[in-house]
Amino acid sequence: MSETPARDRVVVVTGGSRGIGLAIAEALAADGHRVVAVARRSSEALEAAAGKAEGRIRFEPCDLAELDALQPLAQKIRAAHGPVYGLVNNAALGTPGLLATMPATEIARLVHLNTVAPMVLTKLLVRGMMAKGAGRVVNVSSIIAFTGYNALSVYAATKASMIGFTRSLAREVGKLGVTVNAVAPGFVETALTEGMGADDLAKIAGRSALRRLVEPRDVADAVAFLVSDRARNVTGTVLTVDAGSTA
Amino acid sequence: MTLRHTIVDAIETIAREQDKPMPPVTDDLVMVDTEFDSLCFALLVARMEDMTGVDPFSDMEVADLPVTVGDLVALYDRAVQKRAA
Repeated sequence: MSETPARDRVVVVTGGSRGIGLAIAEALAADGHRVVAVARRSSEALEAAAGKAEGRIRFEPCDLAELDALQPLAQKIRAAHGPVYGLVNNAALGTPGLLATMPATEIARLVHLNTVAPMVLTKLLVRGMMAKGAGRVVNVSSIIAFTGYNALSVYAATKASMIGFTRSLAREVGKLGVTVNAVAPGFVETALTEGMGADDLAKIAGRSALRRLVEPRDVADAVAFLVSDRARNVTGTVLTVDAGSTA
Repeated sequence: MTLRHTIVDAIETIAREQDKPMPPVTDDLVMVDTEFDSLCFALLVARMEDMTGVDPFSDMEVADLPVTVGDLVALYDRAVQKRAA
C-alpha cells in the first residue's frame, strides 16, 4: 500500500474546469485529496472552487488532444505535485450528429479526445501507481454506452470503448494494487447537454425511476467513492449514476 | 552508479519483489527466456523513468525491441544521451 496518507494523495482530474469534472475535483478535495485539474483553460468556477479548497485544487493547463504534450504533462505533474495516486479520465467531447452526415474529421476528433488521449494519459500515469503498488483509475463513461441515443453513435462508441478499457486494464494492474473502474452517468445538466433542449431533458427525467436528472455532484460522489479506500475491493466494474433511467 | 548498474539493480529488485527467479543478469541474457514478464517490464520502465527521467519506449521510435539486457542498456543509453543533447 502507498505510504501517503489518504488525505494527501494526488488525484488528476481531466476536464476539471467545469461540469462533472469540476464537481469531481471539488468532491475529491473535500475528501482531503490534492487534486490536479487538467483542462485547456481554467474557469472562474474552477478558480472559485480552488479558493474554497484551500490549496487542494490546482490547475494544470493542457490540450489533451495533443498526444505529444501528455508525457511532459505527466512529468510536470509528478515534479510539481508529487507521485500520482489517482486519475479520473473525465474530459470528453459530446458532439452530437447523425453519423450519415458527420464529417470524418469530426468522427476522428471525437475518438481521439474521448478514447486515445485518456488511454495514453492512463499509460503514463498508471506506471507510477504500479511502481508504488497502489492507485486508482476512474473512467467517466455514459449510460449511452449501453442504451444508445439518436445522433450520438460516435460518442456512444467512445464511451463503450472506455468500459472495455476499464475491464481489461483492471485485470492488467490489479495484482499491483491498482483499481480501475468506470462510472456511467445518465443525462446530467452540463454544457455537454445544453444542446438537447428543455423538452428532451424533461422527457429523460420523466422516464427515470426517480423522476429527475442526475446532477454533477451525484457523479462526483460516485467517483469519490471509487477513489477512496472504501472501494479497495471494487475493480473492473461500471457504477451507473442515472437516477434509474436504465433501471 | 552507472546506467548499466541502475538497470541491472532495477531488474533484480523487481524480479525479487514479483517472486520471479532470475539467472545472473548479464549483458547477453535474453529477457524473454526468463520469467521477467510483461508486467515486470512495465514496472522496470516506470522505475527507470523515475530515476533517469527518460522513457525510450515513449520518447523514441523504437524499431527493434531490446532482446538482451545489453540491448536494453544501449537503448537507455541512447535515450539519456538524446535528452542531454
